[in-house]
Amino acid sequence: MERIVKDNRPVRRIGKKFIRMLLLLVTVSIVTFTLVSMSPIDPLQANVGQAALGSMSQEQKARLEEYWGVNIPPVRRYLNWAGAFLSGDMGTSLLYRQPVSRVIGVKLVNSLFLMVIAWVISGVLGLALGMLAGIFRGTWIDRVIRGYSLLISSTPVFWLALLLLLVFAVWLKILPIGLSVPIGVEASGVTFFDRVRHAVLPAVTLSITGVAGITLHTREKMIDVMESDYMLFARARGESTFTMVKRHGLRNILLPAMTLQFASVSEIIGGSVLVEQVFSYPGLGQAAVTAGTGSDVPLLMGITLVTAGIVFLGNFIADVLYGVIDPRMRKGGEPS
Amino acid sequence: MKKRTKTAAVLLAVSLAAAALSGCGGSAENGAGTAQETARGQEAKRPDDVLDEGVKAGDSVIVTMPSTSEPEAGFDPVYGWGAGEHVHEPLIQSTLTTTTSDLKIGKDLATDYTVSEDGLTWTVTIRDDVKFTDGEPLTASDVAFTYNLCARSSSVNDFTMLKEAVAVDDTTVQFHMNSPFSIWPYTMAIVGIVPEHAYDENYGQNPIGSGRYLMKQWDKGQQVIFEANPDYYGEEIKMKKLTVLFMDEDAALAAAMAGQADVAHTAASYADQVIDGYQLLRTASVDNRGINLPASAPAERDGITVGNAVTSDVAVRRAINIGIDREEMIENVLNGYGTPAYSVCDKMPWYNPAAQADCDPDAARQLLEDAGWVEGSDGIREKDGVRAAFTVMYTPGDSVRQALAEDLANQLREIGIEVTTEGAGWDVAYDKAQEQPLVWGWGAHTPMELYNIYHTLPATGSAEYSPYSNKEVDNYMDEALKAGDLESTYDLWQKAQWDGKTGVTQDGDIPWVWLCNVDHLYYVRDGLQVAEQKIHPHGHGWSIVNNVDQWEWKES
Repeated sequence: MERIVKDNRPVRRIGKKFIRMLLLLVTVSIVTFTLVSMSPIDPLQANVGQAALGSMSQEQKARLEEYWGVNIPPVRRYLNWAGAFLSGDMGTSLLYRQPVSRVIGVKLVNSLFLMVIAWVISGVLGLALGMLAGIFRGTWIDRVIRGYSLLISSTPVFWLALLLLLVFAVWLKILPIGLSVPIGVEASGVTFFDRVRHAVLPAVTLSITGVAGITLHTREKMIDVMESDYMLFARARGESTFTMVKRHGLRNILLPAMTLQFASVSEIIGGSVLVEQVFSYPGLGQAAVTAGTGSDVPLLMGITLVTAGIVFLGNFIADVLYGVIDPRMRKGGEPS
Repeated sequence: MKKRTKTAAVLLAVSLAAAALSGCGGSAENGAGTAQETARGQEAKRPDDVLDEGVKAGDSVIVTMPSTSEPEAGFDPVYGWGAGEHVHEPLIQSTLTTTTSDLKIGKDLATDYTVSEDGLTWTVTIRDDVKFTDGEPLTASDVAFTYNLCARSSSVNDFTMLKEAVAVDDTTVQFHMNSPFSIWPYTMAIVGIVPEHAYDENYGQNPIGSGRYLMKQWDKGQQVIFEANPDYYGEEIKMKKLTVLFMDEDAALAAAMAGQADVAHTAASYADQVIDGYQLLRTASVDNRGINLPASAPAERDGITVGNAVTSDVAVRRAINIGIDREEMIENVLNGYGTPAYSVCDKMPWYNPAAQADCDPDAARQLLEDAGWVEGSDGIREKDGVRAAFTVMYTPGDSVRQALAEDLANQLREIGIEVTTEGAGWDVAYDKAQEQPLVWGWGAHTPMELYNIYHTLPATGSAEYSPYSNKEVDNYMDEALKAGDLESTYDLWQKAQWDGKTGVTQDGDIPWVWLCNVDHLYYVRDGLQVAEQKIHPHGHGWSIVNNVDQWEWKES
């Protein structure tokens, strides 16, 4: 206890980060709101449809315009929203007519399931492949891994998703074509295994594309490490490649790999929008698209802030973990 | 739409690659046979996991719908369930009336309805043997509750003409109107009756009704599962279970190819795919596309230009209407999956067949000659220094509307009219359409659409979407709304289109030219008998399952 009070540097560091996050969120919310206000989407047209408007009286249209806030100036709408948000109310989704927090809650659980699987697979696999390629630099193993990574990183994620869908769902018929639950089965009959089965294709798509970047970066770093003097020394001492890598390699490449891995959270969120679309997977990505094209401002703001928060959290955890992995960082910049 | 073509290209590329691969593998099949070959293993076999215990195989059906069909606000009639761009029967709830297959009025809950002389009071008597699925009886006070709720907070459906609904006794309800509204039975055909005792703001998530189906489960963003209402008062429900999947066209196609859906919606651009074990179902629609032709000379109003120097000449409008070959357009743009459109309401009871105009480019040229539009050196006509040229706008991203505009440009060039095409988003399209033609899509199950397109707005002295005004036409439609008996109003709506002297058809003012009705297309699994469909309204959606209770599986 005492030590914590005495040494409050970590607390201060975290506090600073926290303030930075708040500033980030405020900026993100202003930018998002400005973009939505400038978007040419007419909420009536987008949500009610031209043909439906065509059989409506002028009075009814006026009522709808009021509901969608067409005639309220953007600045006032933003202040209304921000005021409510600060008091803990994320507002009510105009499309779903439910509290934004509840809509996001449901979608987030689905998306997180997907993203965590994809994130773990791509992280572990990327690290392993990158190290292999780095250790056996120039051999056929390296060439295969490098070729794969370059090929994948230049492949559009939605194309890959369609390809996997066609092969595994349409031709081989061993995996479902989409959705997060089996078709026509009641919730009580849905097992955890079912959910995993339905998450396989989207998660694999996301991880396949996620692996490439991490592999290539880890490989570069591994090559640096392998060429270092301490590795040469270790080899001179007669250590086997395996022990060398375990003792000196892993720790040295873990730090950059982790930075990359946590930074890739944003890429996975971005990719999930496309992947969820292809696999009809009901996650945050699809909800964001619906909210954006439907001018559901409260929902879009909510989703943007939540995802911004998640991305920030990813980077933040990476920061904290540095200290755990690298003792030099734990002391901070303190001159000793 | 752009995305669709892109993904379609990918699908195609992948199938080609697969065809090549299977060729290398020494398969006896040729490339084109590959899709069938791979599907044959599970030909028309339904995946086992879709059948619940309790529901016999053959009693259930899986239907895909576009993601936009999912009612975001839930299955609540107050917030647009059943109403809107794509009207349909609410399945879960009962309605007072219903529309028949020829779009006239039938009865559901109502046993009789009458309207007072002045058109301001509708009296409806209802059945006394109907129960909600929670066991409570459905009475007139539930009906009044529903309609008053709609009048207060309806989101999509228009209730501004309703003053108040009153339950006179258990089986009689009266609607007091603000103004006469003879087509009220069409509104009554859409509004599902909700239970007063079990209604709260979460009703849409867990709807209770008295209709043919119970909503069993809703996995948001994915599927809805319906089960037959065992206590339903009407005809026997043959299809015991309905699962509706929400997905885009690409995914729906994949679902059919994988054999995981029984009915999959699709578009004309995909419809040439052959899927083993499936047939293509074409359903006729009033989902039309047409262009407005501003019928007044250019003038300034509220800062925008209203009217067009070329299309304000009625001879030009008439020449366009008979100068275009609708069949050719449908062949080029919709791969033939459509029917020519001559009005906004083809085949509806209020449609006037006099609107039909046969393609005759020579007569079109003659009309233009006679009106003084003389061909110039580049083949484009001119009159008093005005070139016979205008822009046709389309919604960017809607490939069908864009292709229609292009095809129109090609065809009108033949009769000496120059058309340039331009994309215009909905933020500007409404204003611009006051000056230039725009490709529109309409098709509702109510004559109100006719009214709003052609009737003069008092504020501007012109119709809402395109400059046009005709007193006679207005009078017929006003009269039609005021007349008491619905049946007798069909004639008035028809007269508004053409009464022998004036109207909005070829021999009249022709302020809009209608191009085509888009067929709605579905892949249907062999053996499934989809009951005869009402003419579908604008947009893909719930209409297909309007009569799902009468669908059947037949041994094939």
